[in-house]
Amino acid sequence: MEYLIVSTLPPQHEGAAELIGQLAETLPQAEVVYTQQMKISACLGCNSCWLKTPGRCPIHDDYEPLMLKFLQAKAVVFVCDTKLGFLSYQAKNLFDRILPLATMYLTIVDGQMRHIPRYHKNLAAAVLYTGQSDNAYLNRWLARAMLNLHGVSLGAYPFEEKGAALDALAHC
Amino acid sequence: MHLLIVSCTPRAVAASNTDKILTAFCEGFEAQGNTTERYYLARRDTWPQIRDAFAQNDDVLFALPLFVECVPGMMLEFLETLTPKAGKTKISFLLQGGFVEGCQLRCCEAYLETLPAYLGCIYNGTLLKGGMFGVSFVPDQQREKVLAPFVQAGTQFAQDGCFDKQKANEFAQPEYLSKGKALVLRLSKPVQKMVFRKIAKEKMHSTEPLDAKPFLQVVK
Ligand SMILES: Cc1cc2nc3c(=O)[nH]c(=O)nc-3n(C[C@H](O)[C@H](O)[C@H](O)COP(=O)(O)O)c2cc1C
Repeated sequence: MEYLIVSTLPPQHEGAAELIGQLAETLPQAEVVYTQQMKISACLGCNSCWLKTPGRCPIHDDYEPLMLKFLQAKAVVFVCDTKLGFLSYQAKNLFDRILPLATMYLTIVDGQMRHIPRYHKNLAAAVLYTGQSDNAYLNRWLARAMLNLHGVSLGAYPFEEKGAALDALAHC
Repeated sequence: MHLLIVSCTPRAVAASNTDKILTAFCEGFEAQGNTTERYYLARRDTWPQIRDAFAQNDDVLFALPLFVECVPGMMLEFLETLTPKAGKTKISFLLQGGFVEGCQLRCCEAYLETLPAYLGCIYNGTLLKGGMFGVSFVPDQQREKVLAPFVQAGTQFAQDGCFDKQKANEFAQPEYLSKGKALVLRLSKPVQKMVFRKIAKEKMHSTEPLDAKPFLQVVK
């Protein structure tokens, strides 16, 4: 697998089905995962993945296998809807649960505090979303979220701009 | 004023930094003759009551920890279940995070400024503060010192009826790490590691190396 496509929208979602079909056709060795049928809890903020069982989340649901795929992919594409001007909670949970990939230890990058990553892995992620949201804001957020993980943002795009997303993904 | 407060951390109440900060904040706020009622999203079975309280109150404070540069997923899940209101409810936010600098909280603040409108409410300001990771871990005396400014902030909120942007900016200082502080942080890495290991051992009863790599073999 080179590209991992993670959709929080169900396979029968019309817009997403078409989009994912095109992504999977265009991107080499793409694997598609639908989280709707999976059990993925919110992060409960317990800090165990940093302090008690470093690198492992104590919530034993379907998230850990997905997180391991993040470590194997060249780039991850999140396909989701937006609510209240931000990612849906299902999509945000996928980001909140990623904390085991960082360590508790702190460093400073470009004058700002960051966590030292647990693995040498250049995570790259793009978000493709449906629903009304401020695109500039989603890009700002994703850039910061990825910076925190010492990764790169490949951008946030509404479904209609999938061409630009494919471009960024193909060249990452 | 009667203020509805919702603690929006998913963390168990007893361990939560948000809750300790709220207790300090309420001390200052209530000393001015105000009243509060407090709910916790971590107690999922109370969500119906929180929704009712949201429908009935016109002054609301959402207190939250910064989670990956924005609102915790569980808070979003709750917000998605709220019925938008008719326009006169004011929502204020108390946002706190682990990293020390105020600038780390700005991306989330920008989102919070837009959020009340989606709920048919009015934005009433955000109080933000970094450096809060250790609130639950530090000795009592140190905790009191860290929390004292929040008592003050509660008093100020009672007087102003909102979080004034300029005062909030002062409260959030330092906005960036000074060169000196950054250097101290860099040089103190070994001490820092010792402190974290001590916390792990004493509070979490764990002696595993904190930079363990349990899934190293799968990384590509
Ligand atoms: C999943 C997760 C993500 C976090 N993301 C950030 C972050 O992006 N920036 C930051 O400064 N602190 C971050 N933190 C630290 C918390 O905001 C901080 O420890 C806070 O005090 C926790 O409050 P609580 O105990 O009430 O949950 C994160 C913590 C967790 C568990």
